[in-house]
Amino acid sequence: MRRRFRPHILVFLAPAVLIYTLVMILPLIGTLNLSLFNRVEGAESFVGLGNFRTLFGDPRWSASFWNALGNNTWFFLIHMLVQNPIGIALAALLSTPGRRFASAYRTAIFVPTILSFVIVGFAWKLILSPIWGIAPTMLASVGLKSLFAPWLGQEASALTTLALISVWQFVGIPMMLIYAALLSIPEELIEAAELDGITGFAQFRKIKLPLILPAVGIVSILTFVGNFNAFDLIYVTQGALAGPNFATDILGTFLYRTFFGFQLQLGDPHMGATIASVMFLIILGGVCLYLFGVQTRLRRYQF
Amino acid sequence: MGSLTLRGISKSFGATEVLRDIDLEVHDGGFTVFVGPSGCGKSTLLRIVAGLEEPSAGDVLIEGERVNDRAPADREIAMVFQSYALYPHLTVRDNMALGLRQARTPKATIEARVAEAARMLSLEPLLGRRPAELSGGQRQRVAIGRAVVRTPKLFLFDEPLSNLDAALRVNTRVEIARLRRELRATMIYVTHDQTEAMTLADQIVVLNAGRIEQIGAPMELYRDPANIFVAGFIGSPRMNFLDGARLGLQAATLGIRPEHLRLDRVAGEFEGRVSHVEHLGGETNIFVQAGAHGLLTARRFDEESFALDERVWLTPDPARRLLFDAEGRRLR
Repeated sequence: MRRRFRPHILVFLAPAVLIYTLVMILPLIGTLNLSLFNRVEGAESFVGLGNFRTLFGDPRWSASFWNALGNNTWFFLIHMLVQNPIGIALAALLSTPGRRFASAYRTAIFVPTILSFVIVGFAWKLILSPIWGIAPTMLASVGLKSLFAPWLGQEASALTTLALISVWQFVGIPMMLIYAALLSIPEELIEAAELDGITGFAQFRKIKLPLILPAVGIVSILTFVGNFNAFDLIYVTQGALAGPNFATDILGTFLYRTFFGFQLQLGDPHMGATIASVMFLIILGGVCLYLFGVQTRLRRYQF
Repeated sequence: MGSLTLRGISKSFGATEVLRDIDLEVHDGGFTVFVGPSGCGKSTLLRIVAGLEEPSAGDVLIEGERVNDRAPADREIAMVFQSYALYPHLTVRDNMALGLRQARTPKATIEARVAEAARMLSLEPLLGRRPAELSGGQRQRVAIGRAVVRTPKLFLFDEPLSNLDAALRVNTRVEIARLRRELRATMIYVTHDQTEAMTLADQIVVLNAGRIEQIGAPMELYRDPANIFVAGFIGSPRMNFLDGARLGLQAATLGIRPEHLRLDRVAGEFEGRVSHVEHLGGETNIFVQAGAHGLLTARRFDEESFALDERVWLTPDPARRLLFDAEGRRLR
């Protein structure tokens, strides 16, 4: 039997739909639309996929784009390989019963996530500065001065250093999500494992980890979306030029320079919108891959 | 397979004392049931035996060996939990095999033991399923199977039937009794259900407020309770307690079971009015408001029916009455 259409449902849906449309859907459509136009001989005109052809076809544009995409991928990989395993490990440690000061550690590790990028970026810039930073002094005090290098200033290490700063700031988020997932595992299940002789790391690997995989999946996709939208940390520490020599240029900073212009480069809203559209498609693709390829295979368990 | 001795076990959580000075002997191959109202410490006692909880004082001995300092897995025990606590991500087969694999048991042995347990509990068609795809009763059997494959010295059951519906509960009870005969294992079983205690145990330990009230065989507790608590806890419907002084007795309380309280229309020791009748088929419980003696229950095994408000006479069977002193201790 079909239910009669009930008009009051529209009233309840309206606020969310209106606001979401206003601040998310319209700008998105505007951006996609903008990327299909360009200024030809002083007048706006429809160029179809011409801007995309320029972005991928023009040697200079495409070199910048692929550089930014490559850097962004590396930025993401560092988060996946460093931030999330550390977050999981911290959550596992904090959730074992009888650990002293657990809540103090939890708070301390989570605090950086609520700090502004500006503070974090600037603080780390100061810490790592070869001239007045405390990192060289601290290393010197334990006799390891030779290990110090101006990490943020070298092409080879700048991006990794920034990624690790970001990891330091955000490791609290996977920690909290995984911690919550671990707490939802019933006590009796863990006791059953204890009686079966499955203790310590084996218990984590064979019992707990499989049960928190859905949470790990969520953490991964949040990391992916967050990293491919990242901009602020790079902008604060290295400026819009994402130096040295674009070694830390990611899609966000590339978009910013293109759209608004920087120093001698003139702002180009059409090419900017093109880059934004490509970023949107990359993230859309990644999320779809996760939703349809991974999440459908993850089992959620009811305890 | 294994005997268990508890010597002077006490347990406190902070300032609250949950167990006080528990001494207990469970013989090899015995089936002991811990029974008592909720909060009496019976589950805590079981968890102390399992090693999931540490006693504040006292010793746990399995086969005469002190195991206080041994990890749960090294005590050669197996436990069945109230919630079954199956590993939700593993199949029935892996649920049973995981502990053995962890102990690096040879593959062939694991397979043989899992197959044997599956046969015993008729789990063969379910071996490839995950717990979510099983019914409550099937999960319970898997939990028992997981205990069986470990060939433990002691089986511990923590209220294993309380999540099952009534019909399944009876079946599983019979199943556990059969399993016990087949395995000749020593079993300790915690329940708040006295029917389970009476039907399964050969030794019942009645706990109340962290102390053992009485230890004995089921019928011994029924016939010869040591105090008013055990008398009231064992037996359903509950034993009637009458004020001794009103009946002109030396004892403070007279206890009489409903089946030993004779109900008559013509004559008896004291009179009352029928206030409620429960027909259970084979038996009938008649609730009688007996003036100063309060509400009493009489139980008859015929199909005689009584009307509400009917005047009746009651007589406690003098041979079966139990007398208690003011502290609730039995007077013999």
